[in-house]
Amino acid sequence: MGKLSKLFMALSVLSFAVPAFAQGEAMSGTNWVAIAAGFSMAFASGICALAQGKATAAAAESLARNPAARPGIQLALILGLALIESLALYTLVIIFAKVK
Amino acid sequence: MPEQLWFTQVLNSVFAGPVTSLLRALHIEPKYPAAPIPNSFAMEFLVFVFLLILFFLVRARLSVDRPGALQHAFEGVEGFIQGQSNEIIGHHSEGYTPFLASLFFFILFCNLIGVIPSFESPTAVPIVPLGCALCAFFYYQVQGFKHAGIGYLKHFAGPMPALAPLMIPIELISHLARVLSLTIRLFANMFAGDMVTLVFFSLVPIGVPIVFLGLHIGVSFLQTYIFVLLTTVYLQGAVADEH
Repeated sequence: MGKLSKLFMALSVLSFAVPAFAQGEAMSGTNWVAIAAGFSMAFASGICALAQGKATAAAAESLARNPAARPGIQLALILGLALIESLALYTLVIIFAKVK
Repeated sequence: MPEQLWFTQVLNSVFAGPVTSLLRALHIEPKYPAAPIPNSFAMEFLVFVFLLILFFLVRARLSVDRPGALQHAFEGVEGFIQGQSNEIIGHHSEGYTPFLASLFFFILFCNLIGVIPSFESPTAVPIVPLGCALCAFFYYQVQGFKHAGIGYLKHFAGPMPALAPLMIPIELISHLARVLSLTIRLFANMFAGDMVTLVFFSLVPIGVPIVFLGLHIGVSFLQTYIFVLLTTVYLQGAVADEH
């Protein structure tokens, strides 16, 4: 099975939650913002980790190939890691701004 | 009355009256007239006074023949920042070292002061990193204008004059986004560090929070370095000679 069909199967599970909307306004609401915040933070952190892993792997490999270029590679690595990290942090800031 | 650190209480007990009058003269009504100075300002002020004393000490003890430990430390920092700006900006980057070094010291000590009990990092409230980011922003813009005069505006037009109507809004937004990203990066790192320490402190009060204090110290240094590095990169974008 292709990656795409696996992804779609996983996403279709989310549609099982649709009957919850049938209840109308009577319920004292579940805090959907908090649930969405949890998922979005996990997603952001996961993708951030993947990207940082790629950056570190590239830096380690280039360092192995050319140890003399260490200052430049180190600079690029630290800069890249911090910039990627900040993208995950934007999600965290939105959570602290929006979740009661 | 808000929750105050002991140092903030000391400052407020002495200066609440004049500060509130000053704020009212500027048509700002402080939320707590008896305590107009917030914790973050008190901590910033403490860092400022500490740095001032430190710089005067270094200045007084400068010596060519027998440099002391303080002089060695400051020469190390200066060499580091100058080496880095040389690497990134190239020639004639010595003029930028004073600002970059001051930024480095201020942000570093603002971050580190949170490690001491009964003090908190002023950079954990959004306004303080915003202040640092705005200083860096205006500094590199002014340096760009100083270097190239009015021709600095050509930087915003992109590589080709035909692309200018498209590039100018994009460049303006990306420059403003730099302020935002510098602010949020510093604020969120410090704030998240505090939050995580609190969470683990509430789970395991003994032993584990030490790890997070160590993390706080590490993150303080790293985020200071990143802030100064990014300011240097933005400076390079502003004053680069393309020849």
